[in-house]
Amino acid sequence: MPELNIQTKPLRDDAYLFTLEGFLDAHTFEQLDETIQSIFEKNVFNIVADMTGVEYISSAGAGVFIGSLSVAQEGGGNIVLVNPTENVREVFDLLGLSQIFMIEPDIDAALAKF
Amino acid sequence: MAESVHKELVAPSDTRHLVRIREIVRDVASHCLETSCVNRVILAVDEAVANVMEHAYEEEPEPGDIRIALMADDNRFEIVITDTGREFNPQTIEVPDMAEHVKQGRRNGLGLFLMRQIMDEVSYTFVQGLRNELRMVKYARKPIEGGQ
Repeated sequence: MPELNIQTKPLRDDAYLFTLEGFLDAHTFEQLDETIQSIFEKNVFNIVADMTGVEYISSAGAGVFIGSLSVAQEGGGNIVLVNPTENVREVFDLLGLSQIFMIEPDIDAALAKF
Repeated sequence: MAESVHKELVAPSDTRHLVRIREIVRDVASHCLETSCVNRVILAVDEAVANVMEHAYEEEPEPGDIRIALMADDNRFEIVITDTGREFNPQTIEVPDMAEHVKQGRRNGLGLFLMRQIMDEVSYTFVQGLRNELRMVKYARKPIEGGQ
């Protein structure tokens, strides 16, 4: 089983859904980083990240979202996190990121933020 | 006399071993800490070990090993992480301003911030030419048995 599984699909012309499963840590973060960059290269800057299946996140994983948020916003978009598990939510709380990122319960609610 | 658990392992400096190390930390820390606390301690250790894996040996042709000694008794969980790479003193890293971090898209310094937030003690020793040693402690705060 891969340690991080990433699936992407367009939700609208200007928004992509990322469905993440597994561990988002110092070993796997580059995988997510490269995938987000590839979406930015399509000139799509709205990203919905479904975190339901993320069992673990470290600062390396959170750092991908930190590094991408300003790029998304400069492109006129945003990053919205959907349904993080309690463990993942706690890491965002510890880092003070819960006030910075939009966190929504489902994909429709996330899309409504763009 | 309090029962204690000791475990020691040597891992190559390679992030693919982080999953296994987190499992070992869970196993030992569960001896004295509650589940939510164990999860935070796993994060702190993961951050410390990942720091070593990413930076300690980056100037050397061959990455070295990381030695990890874990101990838990009724009162505390303690871990000592040792490497023979370049000096890294966490005391020199400032607490990040997260809003500024996000604004600038910066990612560094977050691991140490988490380690300090989660663990009760974080101390560092550098022995020139020999090793870096990071010691972290988390105290158990279990309710007193039979207490109200």
